[in-house]
Amino acid sequence: MKLWRIATLLAVTILAASAPLGSAPAVEITWSSTQLNPVNEQEWARNTMLRPFEEESGMRVRFVSDLAGPFIDRLVAEARAGRGSVDIIGTLHGDYPLLVAEGAVQDVAAILRQLDGRPDRTFVPDLVRAGQIGGIQSFVPWMQATYLIAAHKQAMRYFPAGRDPMRMTYDDLLQWGENIRSATGQRRIGFPASPTGLYGRFLHGYAYPSFTGSQVKKFKSPEAVSMWRYLRRLWGVSHPSSFTYGFMNEPLLRGEVWVAWDHVARLLPAFRERPDDFVALPSPAGPRGRSFLSVIVGLGIPKNSPNPEAAARLIEYLTRPRTQVLTLQGVGFFPVVREAAGVVPTGGLKVMAEGVTAQATATDARTALLPIGLGARTGEFVPLYLETFTLIAIQGRNIEQVLNDQARKLEEMYRTTNAPCPPPDSAERPCRPD
Amino acid sequence: MTVAEQRLEQTLPPVRRQAVDWLPYVLLLPTVVFLAVFFVYPMLQAFVLSFRSPEGAITLRYFQAMLKDTYFAGALRNSFLLTAIIIPLQVVLALVIALLINTRFQGHPWFLFICAIPLGISDLGAGLIWSSFFTERGYLNLILQNLGLINEPITFLSFERPAWLYGAIVATEVWRATAIVMVILVAGLQLIPKDYFETADVFGASSWRKLRYVTLPLLRPALQTALIIRTILAFQLFATVIVMAGRIVPVLAGEAYFQYGLLRNVNIASAYAVLIMTLSMTITIFYLWLLRTKEEELGRG
Repeated sequence: MKLWRIATLLAVTILAASAPLGSAPAVEITWSSTQLNPVNEQEWARNTMLRPFEEESGMRVRFVSDLAGPFIDRLVAEARAGRGSVDIIGTLHGDYPLLVAEGAVQDVAAILRQLDGRPDRTFVPDLVRAGQIGGIQSFVPWMQATYLIAAHKQAMRYFPAGRDPMRMTYDDLLQWGENIRSATGQRRIGFPASPTGLYGRFLHGYAYPSFTGSQVKKFKSPEAVSMWRYLRRLWGVSHPSSFTYGFMNEPLLRGEVWVAWDHVARLLPAFRERPDDFVALPSPAGPRGRSFLSVIVGLGIPKNSPNPEAAARLIEYLTRPRTQVLTLQGVGFFPVVREAAGVVPTGGLKVMAEGVTAQATATDARTALLPIGLGARTGEFVPLYLETFTLIAIQGRNIEQVLNDQARKLEEMYRTTNAPCPPPDSAERPCRPD
Repeated sequence: MTVAEQRLEQTLPPVRRQAVDWLPYVLLLPTVVFLAVFFVYPMLQAFVLSFRSPEGAITLRYFQAMLKDTYFAGALRNSFLLTAIIIPLQVVLALVIALLINTRFQGHPWFLFICAIPLGISDLGAGLIWSSFFTERGYLNLILQNLGLINEPITFLSFERPAWLYGAIVATEVWRATAIVMVILVAGLQLIPKDYFETADVFGASSWRKLRYVTLPLLRPALQTALIIRTILAFQLFATVIVMAGRIVPVLAGEAYFQYGLLRNVNIASAYAVLIMTLSMTITIFYLWLLRTKEEELGRG
């Protein structure tokens, strides 16, 4: 009996001692993001990126990755319900106009001002400007990215003789594919043309502006017709399994594809695994310059965020130069604060960073941005270009006729939403294909 | 522990037998609630979304938009064609396996276990496994090359060879979903009383005649269940197709997903969902009619 009493006393003492630890109300915040969606990137976000923040702040961050559709639906529904469960969001800048229009995000100008005032943080002004939507600062820049060509070194010997790969044109790319085909009998250029791939970005943000100087206005112009003729021929020297490719690092590593165009984050695993095998090249130039998409990812705070102060602390952590470099190394998204640029990456990342620099600093470089202002119909933009591609290049329909039909849909979309033309077109609204 | 359990039992009142035995209803309740919340309610909502315009009027515009969609005709054709190819293959294969297992040969539990493994694999998982089999650098090419049958790897998954794409999808689906049919048929076979076979033996019936006149007719309810489940699932076929063939081989369930996830057209996605549901229900009713147990058969001695 005495033993029993001692045991009870001991148990109570242990419980009492550990109680503050166990029952302390740990602050948990929910971060909903459309980026870092692949499972390995989610793992990285939870275990590597957020761990130091959780340790220093004592808060727990629930990182929830979602597709754009459910992500937007949830935020809009929470804004309308007047009650929110998401504390902070991270998504593409193209999603913010809709969120602003629906009143689903707060103005973060004060947070941005405070951060920009710190000695260690200078945000790239262009990226900050992209967040100024509907009279508010809708997001704080978080990461940026672009798309490049990755090539296996064994493909370089088939590159058109006397031409410079770092100043590649679309004609060079086609010739390259033809050279590989005639030498090996195989089609080794690859595009991420599966439903999970980003080939649509190649069509509207790279090919169209490079050939026509426009994403929307010259949709059915004579320049566009010759561009589609070119794309048909390029598809003819592309790997016939391209329609199954979502992330180009996979066919690159398998050796199925030697020359691949994709988002830097989706090429990075190949560079990381075999840095000596691959080179990063800028996207090609067309008759109207070397157009490339600048992808901007921003951090925002939902209107009914339960804990905006904690969200602001997380934003501060995520935009720290050290975190920005960590993000570059982890998932291949590039920093948005100048102070992070001084860090020289190594290995595969270095190869890739060189490609990014070559693309951005080329004399004929032109930046295209993702379309904004299409509101609820944003999701229809890219599929329209993909559908045009399917009809022309895969089903072999008449180019002029397809372009006329598709231009009508594009015009209806812009007329209904009264959206402006995306750069490089001038921002007239509603945008209209000529 | 046992003492505590005994005490607990003593404190519980004995179950009294009432006029109405509520127990089955209580046991069914969780399922009914689950189905109501996660199936019936969303189904009704899909109906509303597919027929109601933003102004609140009843409209057919979403169905018209669906019919005009570039991928619609192909999706409808592919869904029917794939179902028509896959289901007969699966039923025959499952029947053969089930009959084999029912002979209770040495080691049949292991055979059953191995055949049932695909049951535990998601459709997306199965698609990924088989796509790594069929890619240019996949296992199939590796095997063929090691056997010396080919010199250069063959691109099986090519948009230029739709028939091969179909073949790859059919192979994946047969591998993945035959097991469910097989399990239902094995259960059905085990429900057939031994007496029938003994009687047939007395009359000197051959194995074939026993299969034709005893096993198959008595297996009809199990076949019916298996066919209904498989056909409904076949119209929901989507993840394996996306992995193997992207949108080159569009299917109805895939288009419903793209309309929602990619294009964010909730209403057109609902129209697709309503179409899939209508087709599944029609075919289910057809099966019920086709495989009904006829009155005269019941009376036939």
